[in-house]
Amino acid sequence: MKSSRTLGLVMIAPAAVMIVLFFLMPVVLTAVFSMTNMTTATGISGGVYQIAPNSLIALKSAMPEIATEMAEPRYTIDEAGLKAVEGLGLAPGIAAELRAKHTGEVFPARRDVERMIKDLAERPSTREVKQISEQFNRSVLNTRFDSKGQLFSALDGLGFQLTPEQKEIVAKTTYTGWTWTSDNFSRMARSPDMARVLFNTVLYVALVLTLFNVGYALLLAILTHYMPPTPASIFRGIWLLPRITPVVIYVLLWKWLAWDSGFISILMGKFGYPPKNYLLDTAYNAWFFVVLINGFIGASMGMLVFSSAMKAIPKSQFYASEVDGASRWQQIRYIILPQMRWPILFVTCYQTLSLLASFNEILLATNGGPGNATEVWALSAYHTALRNYAGNLEYGLGAAMALVLVVIGVVLSLLYLRVFNYGTLVAQPLIED
Amino acid sequence: MAEQSQPSANYRSWPVITALTIVSLPLLLMYLYLFLDTVTVKQPDALLPSGLTLNHWRFLWQTTPGKANIWHVTLNTLLFSACTTSLVLIVSSMAGYVLSRLNVPARGFFLAGVMVLHAFPSVTLIIAIFIVLQMIGLYNSLIGVILVKAAIDLPLGIWLMKGFYDTVPWEIEMAGVVDGASRFRVWRSLVLPQVKPGIMALALFSFLAGWGEFILPQVLAPGNDVQVLSVYLAGFLFDDNNYDFNMFKAVGLFYLVPVLIAYALFNKYLMNIYGGGSKG
Repeated sequence: MKSSRTLGLVMIAPAAVMIVLFFLMPVVLTAVFSMTNMTTATGISGGVYQIAPNSLIALKSAMPEIATEMAEPRYTIDEAGLKAVEGLGLAPGIAAELRAKHTGEVFPARRDVERMIKDLAERPSTREVKQISEQFNRSVLNTRFDSKGQLFSALDGLGFQLTPEQKEIVAKTTYTGWTWTSDNFSRMARSPDMARVLFNTVLYVALVLTLFNVGYALLLAILTHYMPPTPASIFRGIWLLPRITPVVIYVLLWKWLAWDSGFISILMGKFGYPPKNYLLDTAYNAWFFVVLINGFIGASMGMLVFSSAMKAIPKSQFYASEVDGASRWQQIRYIILPQMRWPILFVTCYQTLSLLASFNEILLATNGGPGNATEVWALSAYHTALRNYAGNLEYGLGAAMALVLVVIGVVLSLLYLRVFNYGTLVAQPLIED
Repeated sequence: MAEQSQPSANYRSWPVITALTIVSLPLLLMYLYLFLDTVTVKQPDALLPSGLTLNHWRFLWQTTPGKANIWHVTLNTLLFSACTTSLVLIVSSMAGYVLSRLNVPARGFFLAGVMVLHAFPSVTLIIAIFIVLQMIGLYNSLIGVILVKAAIDLPLGIWLMKGFYDTVPWEIEMAGVVDGASRFRVWRSLVLPQVKPGIMALALFSFLAGWGEFILPQVLAPGNDVQVLSVYLAGFLFDDNNYDFNMFKAVGLFYLVPVLIAYALFNKYLMNIYGGGSKG
């Protein structure tokens, strides 16, 4: 029937709209922004054309003569200047003569315009000549033009003889807003800092994943599996605490533990060691804590998945093995671990993605320090785009870095969907009418 | 659990329990001292407290200079998590039903897409949304953060709800349809009550996730008027010069207590989510 189809579309519409607007759009926009050189310096909503000293330096390599000319003031006898001269309260003949004989003339240098003014019928004094010439100073330097058209008409008005190609170059070098570029990606490929961050990321994911998310989680699950129910649920409860605790408090607790006025410092002080910041002391210490902080959170999910998978193993297998005289170790080795293959694979896949994207804990704990020792890719993207101590937030570069994560995420998850046999997940609906 | 009540002869549990306790010690210590330090006085180099005090809780009745009022911030946090939760619940309970039972075009694609979306790093969303909000001038408002946070939780919510709907026997719906109820009516009055555990799980998960969310409000709504507790507390954390751990801990405990209560009351529902997976 048609009604169920319509109802389906109506009911899924809110989800679709939200996901498109607040999930897909940002991802697409990230791709767009990654192709720009958008920063706080260029602004985010387009710029103006301004012949500033630094743009002239850029222009010098392409067109040295024009750059030098632009650096000099130009003098144009125009109506605005004439009005200003009239307002100076000099002899009225000066303005009148200038208007009659010289309107529209352009003088490339101060010397030229002053020679002309001196030759006027009224013969102004040297001081007056300077005053008058100043009214016609029409330097392009540091004037803002909202559009290319305004820039070009100003250049034409000042008598610059430029070909269209030259104009385009001038427009390009004097534009203060962001432009399209693929520089971000070549910068990422070349920069040694990025290589370092990439290495950090791989190290971070590998260490946390193997030591905690899988290794320790499996250990916890097996140990609590064999425990009487009360201690088992106590330990599970303890190891779930990091996951339910808001990340800010959780990291605060670790800071209290490792800070120079914190628990470890006080404890070591009892043995005569001077207090120090164990968290940011050396790169090794920072890594140690970063792995612990994230690992303690990650262990819980693996523990739950593995525990429930172990519960699903038929008890008869354990009884049978017990009768045959198997030790605990043999039970683990030959009964539990072989049946844990899928849960382990699932946790590994899932947590790889989570770890790649996670940076909250590191941001709050070490903020990537000491130096750049614990800066991982996601944190680096965040720093580049949103919290840069150098002051200039590089939105474009940050977006490009984030895009790399998106690509990795999509590729990996498509791979996982394949591994986990996506077809069974989207079997046809139960009722169709 | 296998023979949990009678440990057999080839196994004694106390060495294992001791070992696990030692490994869990850092966590236990941290949470124990989180509570202790907020109500006691301690000499700077002492490990044990020397007296009781309520001074660390002074933030409750006096506002730290340059900081927002704690009750205002708490209200914002509550508003933020409650709105996010309702949005996620409504939207994903509808979408999950559609994906589980109704045949819509591009259903498989939608499901796979939702799965893939879950893998998208939130840093992508933050950077782009920050720029967009700056462009349109909606930066520093709670509504923007709520929508973004809800969108981030949606993929998980939709998948979870779909899973729960899949377990509802289709005879229930068939009966309703045969009796002449519309599909919408069947969903509202017959199916929805069947997936209550799922709704509870998702509600609790979204609420806790919203309550603890840090990076989105930090970037998109850092202003004092719209600040949430995580940003408020992080303000202390980032301030390296002025470390009053005891007061931070009091704020932290104040912030953590609702989480612990909610968790203690409803943890069996929440396990449905954490067992199935979430970020972290």
